Amino acid sequence: MLASLDWLKQYVDINISVDELVEKITGIGLEVETVTYLGEGIEGVVTGKVTDIYRHPDSDHLWVCMMDYGQGIVQILTGAQNVHQNDIVPVAVVGSCLPNGMKLKKAKMRGLDSFGMLCSAEELGIDSKLLLPEQRNGIFILPSNTPIGMDIKDVLGLNDVVIDIDLTANRADCFSIIGLAREIAAVTGSRLKMPDFEVKETAGGNAADMAVIKIDAADLCSRFGVRILKDIRISPSPEWMQRRLRACGIRPISNVVDVTNYVMLELGQPMHAYDYDKVSGHTIIVRRAAEGEKLITLDGQERILNTSMITIADPEHAIGLGGVMGGLETEVTDNTVNVLLEAATFNGASIRRTSRALGLRSEASGRFERGVDTVLNHNALNRAANLLENMGSCTTVAGIVEAYPKKIELPLIKITTKQINDRIGIEISKEEMIKTLTDLDFKVEDEGSALVITVPSWRNDITCGADISEEIARMHGLEHIKSHLPVLSLTQGYQAVIEDVKDDIQDYMIGEGMSEVMTYSFINPQYFDMLRLPKDDKRRRCIDLLNPITDDFKVMRTTMAASLLNAAAYNLARQQSSVEIFEIGRVYLPDALPLKEFPEERSVLCALMGGKRNDLNWCECRDSFDFYDMKGIVEGLLSRMQMNSYELKLCTVPYLHPGKSCSILIDGEIAGWFGEVHPQVQESFGLNQEVYLLEIDIKPLISTAVAVPHYHHLPKYPSMSRDISVVVPAEVTNAELEHVIREHGGKYLMDVRIFDVYTGKQVASGCKSMAFNLTYQADDRTLTDTEVDASIKEVIAGVGEEYKAMLRA
Amino acid sequence: MKEELRALKEKALSEVEKADSLESLKELRVKYLGRKGPMTEILRGMGKLPPDERPQIGQIANEIKSILEAEINKKTALWEQKALEDKLANEKVDISLTGRKHREGHLHPVTLTLREIKKIFMRMGFDVMEGPEIENDYYNFEALNLPQDHPARDMQDTFYITQEFLLRTQTSPVQVRTMQSREPNSPVRVIAPGTVYRCDYDATHSPMFHQVEGLLVDKNISLADLKGTLEMFLREMFGSSVKIRLRPSYFPFTEPSAEVDISCVICGGKGCRVCKNSGWLEILGSGMVHPNVLSMSGYNPEIMSGFAFGLGVERIAMLKYGIDDLRLFFENDLRFIRQFK
Repeated sequence: MLASLDWLKQYVDINISVDELVEKITGIGLEVETVTYLGEGIEGVVTGKVTDIYRHPDSDHLWVCMMDYGQGIVQILTGAQNVHQNDIVPVAVVGSCLPNGMKLKKAKMRGLDSFGMLCSAEELGIDSKLLLPEQRNGIFILPSNTPIGMDIKDVLGLNDVVIDIDLTANRADCFSIIGLAREIAAVTGSRLKMPDFEVKETAGGNAADMAVIKIDAADLCSRFGVRILKDIRISPSPEWMQRRLRACGIRPISNVVDVTNYVMLELGQPMHAYDYDKVSGHTIIVRRAAEGEKLITLDGQERILNTSMITIADPEHAIGLGGVMGGLETEVTDNTVNVLLEAATFNGASIRRTSRALGLRSEASGRFERGVDTVLNHNALNRAANLLENMGSCTTVAGIVEAYPKKIELPLIKITTKQINDRIGIEISKEEMIKTLTDLDFKVEDEGSALVITVPSWRNDITCGADISEEIARMHGLEHIKSHLPVLSLTQGYQAVIEDVKDDIQDYMIGEGMSEVMTYSFINPQYFDMLRLPKDDKRRRCIDLLNPITDDFKVMRTTMAASLLNAAAYNLARQQSSVEIFEIGRVYLPDALPLKEFPEERSVLCALMGGKRNDLNWCECRDSFDFYDMKGIVEGLLSRMQMNSYELKLCTVPYLHPGKSCSILIDGEIAGWFGEVHPQVQESFGLNQEVYLLEIDIKPLISTAVAVPHYHHLPKYPSMSRDISVVVPAEVTNAELEHVIREHGGKYLMDVRIFDVYTGKQVASGCKSMAFNLTYQADDRTLTDTEVDASIKEVIAGVGEEYKAMLRA
Repeated sequence: MKEELRALKEKALSEVEKADSLESLKELRVKYLGRKGPMTEILRGMGKLPPDERPQIGQIANEIKSILEAEINKKTALWEQKALEDKLANEKVDISLTGRKHREGHLHPVTLTLREIKKIFMRMGFDVMEGPEIENDYYNFEALNLPQDHPARDMQDTFYITQEFLLRTQTSPVQVRTMQSREPNSPVRVIAPGTVYRCDYDATHSPMFHQVEGLLVDKNISLADLKGTLEMFLREMFGSSVKIRLRPSYFPFTEPSAEVDISCVICGGKGCRVCKNSGWLEILGSGMVHPNVLSMSGYNPEIMSGFAFGLGVERIAMLKYGIDDLRLFFENDLRFIRQFK
C-alpha cells in the first residue's frame, strides 16, 4: 500500500519526522518497505508562461520561447513540438537542478543562447505510466490557471513523501489512508479527523424512484448501495487529486473514475460508476453468473463466466463482474449524462477465485479479498458525491438506494486483563488496556473482572481474546516485553534414530573424501528416458506437479541418479579433475496415481564418483576411479553400519553398466545398487568419462547401525600365515573361490585375503591366476607348521577338485 | 708379569684412542678382550705364579679388562653417534613438497547450519521431529488456521499435486502432526527441520529451501518466553553480542505474531548494504500459537499455551558464512561446497 504523507496529514496531525514515523508504525506492525521523497533533487524549477514562441531561424525542429517565470523573462530553446503561446509549463532556469543530478547551465544551440530548459514530466521524475496520455509526450503542459513563478514541487505535489507499506494479510482496515491515519493517531497520541461526507443533493427527485437494487446471491454480496449523479461533465480531475492518485500509484483518467479511485484509496471502499442510462430498466441484480455466460469487460476482452462468479446484471444481461471489473457496455464515457455510483461489499473468497481464474487482479479485488467493511458503504457513496459536487462535475439525486439483506453485528469479546497479561508475559494495568483499545476505536466496558470489548466494523481480523492480546502487545511495544526463559522440567532433546544414522553416514562419506550436494526434489521427466528406463519401469510412475515452474521441475523424483549425474556434469564441465559427491535425499513413491494417499518418501543415499583418484601430486598416481573405488566406499559404509550379512549380485539396473554393477541385498531384499554408469547414460548427461554411482536405502541399515559392538578377547597365541596361488578358469569369481577355500581350510582358518589377480604370459588363455593369503589361528595354543601345511594341502586339493586348478607357487 | 700387563694396557689404550671407525673398534675388542687375545694368554700363564701373587695379578688383570672394555664402549658410542649424525645429515627431505593425502570431503553449508541449529535446540531440550514433504491441504493450511480462500494463502505460492495434496510450503504442519500424535494437553517441545517448497524462482527465491519450525506448548507460556528462547538461540548462533528486535506481524497460526530481527551481523548495526542501511536483519517469524490451532489439534487453549517459530536455514547460512547469492546452494559447484567445514 502506497500512502501519501500529504494525504495522511489531512486526517491526522503528524508532528514527528518521517524517520520517527516509520519507526513508530513499524513498531505496531506496519512494515515499511520503502520511503520515497518525490521531487528529490529538484531545485529552482518554477512555473513559467510562454509569452512568445517562434521557430529557430537555423533549425527545422528547435523553437525559441520567451518565458515569463515570475522573476523576469528569459529566452529558452526547446526541441519539443507541443508548446504553444500562453502555455504554462515547468521551467528550469540556469542554476536550477533536476532529479537526475543535472544542474542547468547556459547553452548555445545553433548560434542562439538558451538560459534553461522546459521540462517534461519524466524529467521531473514522474513515472509516465501515471500520466494522462496527453501529458506523456513532450513538455508537461500545466492547467492554464496555474500561477506563474510557483515552485514546481508545490504545484505537482513533488514535496510529498510516499511511504510503501507491506501490509500483512489480516489488516484490511489499513488498506486506506483513513485506516493508516487511525493507526498513526493511536500510536502518536493524536486524533483522527474524518473527511467531509456532506452531499447537497440538488438534482431534484428521489433516487429510490429512479433505481432498483436486488441481491439474489446474499452469500456473495452482503451490501450493495448506489447514488445517482446527474448532469455529469466529464473532464480531467483537479491537479491536487491527480497528484495524490499518482503518489499512490494510480493513473488519473477522468473526474468520475478518479473520484471512485480516490475514495477507494481514502476510505478503503472500492467503487464503480455505471452510465445510468445504459442500465436497462435502471435495475441492478446481483447474482451468480450462469455457466458459460459472456461479458465484455472494460478492457475489451470477452470473459466466459461460471456460477461461482458474482455478476452485476440488469434485467437483460450481465453488465459487470462484481468487485473485479466492470462491463464495457455500461462504461462511463464522454457522452455520459447520468451516473449510477456503486459501493458494495462482496465475498472475499469468491472475488479471490474469480480474479485468479480470469487473471484479473486489481486494487479493488485486493481489497475485497481481505474484506471490506460493510459499514463503510454510505460514507463512501457520500464522499464520492461530495467530491464530484465540489468539483462542479455533477448534481446529486437525493437518497441512497441499497440492498442490505442482513445487517452485520459487531462482535463482542470478553476477556480478563490476566488472560491478556499472561499471554504476553507482562503486567499492564487495566486502565492502560482500556485506553489502548479506545484509542483504536474499540468500545470497552469494564465489568470488573473482565473487559467486554466491541470490535469496530473495520477490524474483521479481531475474532478472539488472543487478537485483543495482540492489540495490547503491539501498541504497548514488543520491545518493552522483558524476555524470559520458560520454566520447564529439565530434559535432553532427541532426534529419531534414522536421523542419527543419516548424520553418521554423512560423516563417513566426507571421511571418504566425498562432498555433499543438495539437489532439487523435482526433476524433468525426460530424465527417465535419459536413464534408459523401460516404458514399464516402476520409476516412471511419478508424482506430477500441477503448476511446475519449468519443465526441469516437473515431477517428484523416483530415483536420485539423475540429480547426481547432473551435479557431476555441472562440475566436470567446470574444470574439476574429479567429482566425488553424495546426497541423502528423498525419493517419492506413490501407491496409486493420481495421488489418493500420502506417498512413501524414502530416504536414499546416492553417491557418485568419477575422474582422477588423486589430485595432481608428485607422489601420487593419477589413475582414474574404477569400480573397486566405489565398491570400497560401499564395503566401508556397510562395515560402519555393522552390516555383516549382505550379498552382492550382478544386477540389471537400466542406467548401470550390465557387467560392472551389482545390487546390494540385505536379508534377501534389494536395498540398493552400485556400479559404472551405462555409457549411453553418461553420454546423455554430457559426461565424457566413466562415473560410478551408488544408490542405497537408509532404512535397512538402521537396525545394525545402532547395535552396540560386542567385545571379542584378543588372541593369546600367534597366528600363522601362508600364501597360495591358483590358476582357475577366468569366469571363476573371487567369492566362489574364497568360499571353496574356506570350506576346505578347516576350523583354524580365520582369514582369507586376495592379494593378486593375474592374467598374462605365464597363464594359459581362458584362465587367471589368483593369489591368496591365508591366516590360521587357534584360540588355545600355537599351531604347528605341520598342522597348517596339512590344511593348505587340503585347500589346494579342494580347489583343484572344484576347478581343475593348478597350484602356481 | 705386572709390567707385562701394564705395557699391554698402555698399548691397548693407545690403539683404542687411535681407532677411527666402528670396524677398527670392533677388531680391537676382539683383539684385546676376545678369547684368543693377549689378556687371556697372560691370565692363562697365571698358573705359573706363586699362589700368593695370583689374586693380586688376577685383580689387576680384571681391572685392566674392565677399563679397556669401558674405553672401547665409550669410543664405540662416540662413533655410533657420529655415524647416526652422518646418516641423518644425508637423509634430509624437501619439506616443502606436498604431502600424500586422502581427499577431504565437505558437508553442504545448509547441513552444517542445520546441524548447528539442531544442536542448540537439543541442548535446550527440544526433540527433533520430521514430517512428510508431500502434505495435504489439511495439515499445511486448514489445521494451521488457514481455511480455503484465506488471503494469507497468497503469502505462500504453493506447488499443487492434486486438489488435496501439495508440496509443503512450510515446516509448520509438523506442529499439527506432533500435537495430534500426543496425549491432548501434554507438553510439547520440538523443532522440525526440513525441506519446503514455494512456487517462486529468481535471484532471491529458490523453489526448494529449508526451514526449521519450533513449537513449545506447556502451561503458562507467554510471548516473553518466546523472546527469551529466541534470544538464547540467536546468541548461540551469531555470538553473544547480537541484539534482537521483535516486530508485530501476522501469521494465521500465531496470535500475537512477531517478526524477529537481529542486529546486522555484517556491520554490527551501523547500516550496510546487506541490512539495507537499517542495521537490522529479518531472521525469523514467530508468535504465540493461535487458540484455533491448539483446539484443532485437541489441545485446550484455556489450559495450555505455547509459542512457535519458523526460520529459514539458507538465510541463516548466508549470514553466517557471508554468502551473497542464494542460487549457489543448489548449483552444487564443488568449488563452493569445498569452502565449508
